Amino acid sequence: MRTENPSEEQPMNRAKIMVVDDDPDLRQALSLRLQANNFDTVNVGDGYSAIAMAQQEQPHLIILDLGLPAGDGFVVLKNLQQYPALSIIPVIVLTARDPDSTEKRTLESGAVAFFQKPADNEELLGVIRACLQTGCGGGLPS
Amino acid sequence: MEHEPARVLLIEDNPGDADLVRLRLVEGKAAVQVNCVPRLSDALACLEAETPTLVLLDLNLPDSHGAETFRRIIQKAPNVPVVILSGQDDETLAIKAVHLGVQDYLVKGDITSKQLERAIRYAVERQGLLRSLDIARKQQLEFKNQFLSHVSHELRTPLACIHQYVTLLLDGLAGPMAPDQTGHLKTVLKSVNQLHAMIRDLLEATRAESGKLRVEPRCIDIGELIQQAVAMMRPAAAEKHIGLEVGLDQTIPLVYADPDRTLEVLVNLIDNGIKFTPPDGSVVVKAAMVETDPTSVYLSVSDSGRGIPPEALPRVFERLYQDPNAVDGNRTGLGLGLYIAKEIVTFHGGRMWVASQSGSGSTFSFTLPLYSLAKLLLPVITHRGRLREDIVLVRVELTPLSKALRGSWKEACQRCLERLRLCIYVDKDLVLPPMEASGAVETFFVVASTDMKKVSIMMDRIRDQVGALPKLKASGTLRVTAEMIPVPPAADPRTVEQQVWSVADSVAEIIQQGLWSRQHFIEKENQNAH
Repeated sequence: MRTENPSEEQPMNRAKIMVVDDDPDLRQALSLRLQANNFDTVNVGDGYSAIAMAQQEQPHLIILDLGLPAGDGFVVLKNLQQYPALSIIPVIVLTARDPDSTEKRTLESGAVAFFQKPADNEELLGVIRACLQTGCGGGLPS
Repeated sequence: MEHEPARVLLIEDNPGDADLVRLRLVEGKAAVQVNCVPRLSDALACLEAETPTLVLLDLNLPDSHGAETFRRIIQKAPNVPVVILSGQDDETLAIKAVHLGVQDYLVKGDITSKQLERAIRYAVERQGLLRSLDIARKQQLEFKNQFLSHVSHELRTPLACIHQYVTLLLDGLAGPMAPDQTGHLKTVLKSVNQLHAMIRDLLEATRAESGKLRVEPRCIDIGELIQQAVAMMRPAAAEKHIGLEVGLDQTIPLVYADPDRTLEVLVNLIDNGIKFTPPDGSVVVKAAMVETDPTSVYLSVSDSGRGIPPEALPRVFERLYQDPNAVDGNRTGLGLGLYIAKEIVTFHGGRMWVASQSGSGSTFSFTLPLYSLAKLLLPVITHRGRLREDIVLVRVELTPLSKALRGSWKEACQRCLERLRLCIYVDKDLVLPPMEASGAVETFFVVASTDMKKVSIMMDRIRDQVGALPKLKASGTLRVTAEMIPVPPAADPRTVEQQVWSVADSVAEIIQQGLWSRQHFIEKENQNAH
């Protein structure tokens, strides 16, 4: 597992966050927001690329939309669990879908937090920082 | 009914009348099976066992008379067509019955077999039509709800995009802004937030309408919740120079309600009060007990606004109702807020109402059920009409490793609760409803009808079973403790109910003390851990 603690890293060695959303505009805006908060970002727009990019980039955290082409968010969550190196990456789900019908399922599928769009920026950043500090991996089967 | 014999349930106590009707039925061309019973109670039992094609009903039976008779039958079997057999003298009642959902009536004495056959055929036909109409109506409602739910989700995606870019600009992440530009963007953001609230309300109202509103009652301190709601609304009140005051009865026991939902109701009512109160006015939130109703807490939100005209009072809780006299340019939303608030309260088993006088403000009041430990405990800690000898309170504390991952932690606690319920004997132990946790620590209590020696077996089971949950292992720690509850002696002269009350009081006291001093426990735990 990771040994470094991103919150105490030097600016040169910042935490990397992968944003998975099929809406390029929202992806872009989220990235700008994250970069302004001293995170590096990688953006992808579909489920298949999400897995490929996660393997290639080994991000410290993933922000994941549920409605995606080429494998929706649940497929991505499931696939992440297949790889030991990826299963420890905390995933925050950010979706337009109804929490009543999806929140429980996403958390059961291994996500560590659920946000409905539009999410409060400060709340989202708070959870991102907390995840990176504890280095908590979701996805332990129960 | 040509293919299969029609099964007619004939409810008639007069043997002569019964024989006559039976004869007319058998005379007809269609195949008919007749089951004749003389009393309403027999009929209800028959309807319970199987559904007949049709009911022929005499209104005056030994155990029921008049309108009550068909009401009971329709209530029992709403989908079975009913034809009334009326006497010459109670035809008016039979007509009334037709208005209330009975298919037809026949006057005894001039029933021919042809008439009877036709009445049965048409009654079955009409009932079938009514049923398909009802099904179609429900399908339409379901479609409407699905449509609304789909639309509100689709609206969220572009809204999220607007929200993100506007906040990027406002936060200066895309370069510095001129003061004017900042002002304009703030107006955009305000509108985005209004739109967001409308989408939320739309979904919430849809849920309420289709009975899917989620209410998870817990044991809560209503005073704390009111303070929380008031703190949330203070900035909005201050902006309009409106005083926001709280009046709390000091003796309010714990309330049994969903904390998130209750907060939603309070915020909604306070927001409403602020909206309709002119600057320098005031909004007051109160909670009190009422002597005539010891099972509920009474909450109210009063404002010093212009009030509601009497003709509008009955309509304020209607869906899409909007104040036609809104003059201050406040965009009021969809007009769903009060409807949703009332639905939430109703879901809790409470009531909501409004009192107002034009020109001197309005008061919205609602009730929430109190948490009655005694009611919950009675079946568990009594056996054969007597109090059990030994009662122990087991405390299960879950402490999270990280405070911020609320969703994941909530999920872990839920799993623990489910597992905990499997660790007890359902007939003599009880897992109490979850307490509202003010911090992140979750505490569950089990009332066990056992002694301190035997309870250790249960505690070990809890440690093994709950402690083994991977979700908990990953996110928190478990602590299980127990203490004895004083039980009134066998010779206690009070009734069992009174004894249960006294046990419930002891349990409640320990729980409240425990929650209060919890912080202390955690500190001790942490010291032990190092």
